Amino acid sequence: MGRDQWRAALRNPVGAVAAGLLVVLAILAVVAPILWGDAAEETDPAALSQGSTSEHPLGTDALGRDIMLRVLVATRYSLGLALLATAICVVAGVLLGVLPAVLGRRAGRLVTAAVNLAVAFPGLLLALFFAVIFGVGARGAVLAIGLAGAPSFARLVQTNVAAVAGRDYVAAARVAGVGRFRLVARHLLPNIGEPLVVNATVMAGTALLAFAGLSFLGLGVQPPAYDWGRLLGEGLDRIYINPAAALAPGVAVVVAGLAFTLLGESIAQVVGVRAVRRRRPPAADEPAAALARAAAEPDAVLVADDLRVGFPAPGGGWTHPVDGVGLTVRRGETVGIVGESGSGKSLTALAVAQLAPDSAHVTAQRLEVAGVAPLGRADAEVRELLGTKVAMVFQDPMTSFNPSMRVGRQLAEVTRVHERQGRRAALARAVDRLRTVRVPAPERRAHQYPHEFSGGMRQRAMIAMGLMSTPELIIADEPTTALDVTVQRQVLRLLEDVQAETGAAVVLISHDIAVVGQLCERVVVMYAGRVVEELPVGRLGAAAHPYTRALLASVPDLATDRDRPLATIPGRPPDPADRPEGCAFAPRCEFADDACRVRPGLAAVAPDQRAACWHPRTQPLDLALDAVPGGSCDTDRRWGAEGPPEPSVQGVGRLERVRDPLHDPTSDRGAGGQA
Amino acid sequence: MRELSFEGTTVRFGTGRSALTAVDGVDLTVPAGSVVGLVGESGSGKSTLAKAAVGLVPTTGGEIRLDGAPLRTSRDRRKLQLVFQDPHASLDPRMTIGESIAEALPGRRRRAARTAEVARLLELVGLDPARARSLPSGLSGGQRQRVALARALAAEPEVVLADEITSALDVSVQGSVLNLVRDLQRQLGLTMLFISHNLSVVRYVSDVIAVMYLGRIVEAGPADAVLSAPRHPYTRTLLDAAPAFGVALDDPVPADDPRLDAEAPSPHDPPPGCRFHRRCPIGPLTRPERTICAETDPQPGAADRPHRAACHFATDLMEVPAP
Repeated sequence: MGRDQWRAALRNPVGAVAAGLLVVLAILAVVAPILWGDAAEETDPAALSQGSTSEHPLGTDALGRDIMLRVLVATRYSLGLALLATAICVVAGVLLGVLPAVLGRRAGRLVTAAVNLAVAFPGLLLALFFAVIFGVGARGAVLAIGLAGAPSFARLVQTNVAAVAGRDYVAAARVAGVGRFRLVARHLLPNIGEPLVVNATVMAGTALLAFAGLSFLGLGVQPPAYDWGRLLGEGLDRIYINPAAALAPGVAVVVAGLAFTLLGESIAQVVGVRAVRRRRPPAADEPAAALARAAAEPDAVLVADDLRVGFPAPGGGWTHPVDGVGLTVRRGETVGIVGESGSGKSLTALAVAQLAPDSAHVTAQRLEVAGVAPLGRADAEVRELLGTKVAMVFQDPMTSFNPSMRVGRQLAEVTRVHERQGRRAALARAVDRLRTVRVPAPERRAHQYPHEFSGGMRQRAMIAMGLMSTPELIIADEPTTALDVTVQRQVLRLLEDVQAETGAAVVLISHDIAVVGQLCERVVVMYAGRVVEELPVGRLGAAAHPYTRALLASVPDLATDRDRPLATIPGRPPDPADRPEGCAFAPRCEFADDACRVRPGLAAVAPDQRAACWHPRTQPLDLALDAVPGGSCDTDRRWGAEGPPEPSVQGVGRLERVRDPLHDPTSDRGAGGQA
Repeated sequence: MRELSFEGTTVRFGTGRSALTAVDGVDLTVPAGSVVGLVGESGSGKSTLAKAAVGLVPTTGGEIRLDGAPLRTSRDRRKLQLVFQDPHASLDPRMTIGESIAEALPGRRRRAARTAEVARLLELVGLDPARARSLPSGLSGGQRQRVALARALAAEPEVVLADEITSALDVSVQGSVLNLVRDLQRQLGLTMLFISHNLSVVRYVSDVIAVMYLGRIVEAGPADAVLSAPRHPYTRTLLDAAPAFGVALDDPVPADDPRLDAEAPSPHDPPPGCRFHRRCPIGPLTRPERTICAETDPQPGAADRPHRAACHFATDLMEVPAP
C-alpha cells in the first residue's frame, strides 16, 4: 500500500474522523494514567456511590472513587489489552496461514483442515474455553481472545496466500530455485499485506469489544485492576441510581471500537476499489473538426466526427485516450480497426455503442449510429433506440454471458425485453438463431449453461445473441483473440456469412492486421487515440503511413524470411496523458522532421486512401499479398492428389474468389444451417 | 547446453470421472543447441508439458531426462528455466527488476558480484543496467518480457522453456522479443523448447517443429519439412487456418467441410481411435471407407512414419507426386 493510498484513506471523511479519534485515544492512553492515575485510585469515604455532582461529574463508585477519572485512566489498559490480543491473533493467524505454503502437500492439507475446523467453532465459546484453561484474569483473557480470533485470521491469510501462490511470479521464483521460507517472506507476505492490515484494524475493534464483554462477565480483568468492561459491570449494578456510571465506560468502548472498525473500512475502500469520482466535463476544446471530418455519406450506418473520449486525470485535468476520431461505416460494409493496446480502438467502439465507462466523457462534432444521435440523450432512451440496432461481440464470451443463466434464456431475454415477445416464441427464436450460427444440436445447447460451451461455440452464441433482433451494425471487439486459429477461422467465416445475409455493417476491432485483412474491405489504423490511416484492404501493400507499414512488416507470417531479423518499431506508444505535440508517431518514426511537430490531418494519398502523415510513403511494401498459387497456401499440393476433399475446389488460385455453395449467401441458407 | 528429452511423459489431473490426461505419453527430444517449436491449440497440453519439466506440475508417468540423466530433485530441475506467457504476472510487483533477477542467481555471491551479474544480464537482453532499480510497473510489456528472459538466464540453465512468451505482447513488440530470442539462442547456443499457438511465430525461431493435439505429439520434424509437406492432417488444418494476407476467408480449405466437427473433443473424454478423426478432412467423416481411424489408435506406429506422424495415412501422402 503506497503512501498515496494511506493519504487517500485519511482524506476520506469517515477515515479522517476514525483516525482523529484514535489519535485522541492514544494520547489519553499515554497521558491519563500519568495525570490522573493516583486521583482515580483515591477513595472518598464522604462520597460513596454518589450521582453526578459538580465535584464528580459522572459520580463515584462504591468506594467513592471518581468514575470519570477511572474511565479516562482505563483507556490505557483497555486499549493495551485489546492490541495485545490482536497482536497474538495476527501472529498466530499468519503463522497458521502460511504453514500450508511452507509444509509439504499432505501436512499443509492437515493444517488447513485443522484451521477450517477451528473456524467452524464459535469464537466466543472458544474464548470462554481458553479463559477456563488459562485461568480467570487479564492474561487468560488476552490469550483467549487472541487465540480465538486466530483461526479466522489464519483462514484469511490462507485464502490470500493461495491466491498469490497461484500467480506466475511465485511459480517463476520456484522454478528459479527460491526456497520455501524465502518465498513466503519475499513474495507471499508482502503481496497480501493490504487485506491483512485492513482486517487487523477491524480485528482490534472486535477484540476491544470482546474484552469488554469478558471483563463485564467477570472473566477478564480482576480487581484491583480495571478496564472499561469492569467499570461497565460495576456501573450496571446501579444503573437506575446513577446511569452515567454505566454509560460512560459503555460509550468509551463503543467509540474506540468504532474508531478501529471505521479506519479499517476506509482503508479497505481505498485499497479495494479505486473510487471513481465523477468530475465535471472539460470545457469544450476548440473543434479539431478540420483534422477529422467524416465524409458525409447518405447510406452510412455509423458516422463519427471528431469523436473524443476523456477521462479525469489523476493530477487534475483530462486525458483523451480517443482524441478526435473520424469514422464512417456504410450499410453492408466491413471495416476493420487496427491498433496496438492503448491505441483507443476498443474505447472508440464502446463510445460508439454508448457503452463507455461511467467516468468517461464522450463528445463528438457529430455522432450518428443507425440514424440515431445518441449523445445528449438519456441512457434509457438510447438503450431503447440502439438496443436492437447495434450488436456487440466481445473478446471473452465467458465474461459477457451470465454464468448462472442458460444460454437459450439469455438469448431470449433480448427479444423479450426489446420486442416484448412471449417466453416460448423468444426461446424458439433463440434456438433458430443458434442454428443460424451453426451451433450443433441447438435445441439441446440452448438448455446448457455458458461454461458448457467451448470458446468458439460461446463466441457463436454471442453472435447469435446479436442476431436476435435485426442489427444494422455489428461491432466485434477482438472476437477471436482468445480462440485458436482453426476456431478463429470458423468465427470469422461466420461473421462474414452473417454480414452477407443480414446486410449489417460490421466493425471488426483487432490487434492483428492479418485477421482484419481477411475479413474486411476497409482498414482504419489507429495510433495513440487517433486515426493515422484509412485504406482499402487491397491497398495494404501500398500503405502510406510509416506506422501502418511498420505494423505490417513486424508480423511474421508463414513466408517471412527466417534469416533476417523482424522489423521492429523502436520505443513505445505514448501515454494518452503525455501525447507528443504534432504527430504522435513522430518520436518513433524514421522519417520524422520538423514538419511533424504540427499535427497532420487525414489527407488523400490515393483514391479511397487517406493518411495522417506529412511524409507519406509511396513505394509498395514487400507483402505476401500477391503470392502466386503454389505458395504456402496452395491447397492442391499440400493435400496431395487424393485431397483436397470437398468442398474445396481444385485447381483454383487463391486470389480468384470462389464461393462454395454452402457459404454462398445467395444460395439456400438451410444447407449451412443443418450442418 | 545439453539435450532435453521427454520419454512417455504423462500428466494426469484429478481422479475418477473428472480425471483428465493433459499430457499423454509424450516422446520428444530437444537436441542440444537447437530450438524445438511446440504448436497446438489451447488445451492441447503444451504448457502442461513445460510445467511438468520444471516441476510445477507433477508427472504421473514417464521420464524427463537431461542428457540421459533423469530429473528427480528440484536441484536437477533448476537447470531448466521457464519463461512465462504474461510478463505482467510473472514479475513480483513489489520487487525491483534487479532483485527479481538476482534472486535466480545460483550460489552465494557478494553484493558487488551480484550487481555486476545483474547488469550484465540486463545488457544481454537489451535493457539499460540502470533500470535494475525500477519496479516492473514502470516497464512496458516488452521490457518486462526481457527482464523475465534475463531472470531465466540468470539461473544458468541448460535448457530454456519459453511458454507463449509473445502472445501477451503487442505485435510491434513481439517482433523485437522474437529477434532477441533468436539472437540469444545463436549467441549463447541455447537449447530451447519454444511453445506457441502461432505457427508463424514458431516457424520463425524453430529448427524443429512438433505439433501437439489433445495431449499427444501428432507430428514432429524439421521445421521446413513439417511446414512444406505436413504429414498429419491436423498440421495442415492449422496451416490452412493461419491468417495470411491475400487469402480470403471464402477460399475454402478442407477443414471447412460442414460434415466435420467444429469443436475440439473434450479432453475428459477423448474419442476412440485417432483423436482427430472427427475433425479430420481426410478421415472417416469424409471418406467412410476409412473406418480404421475411428477404431485404431495411430499413435503406436508413429515412430516409423515420416515426421513420426500419428496418422494411418501419413505415408500415403508421401507417395503423391507434387503437381
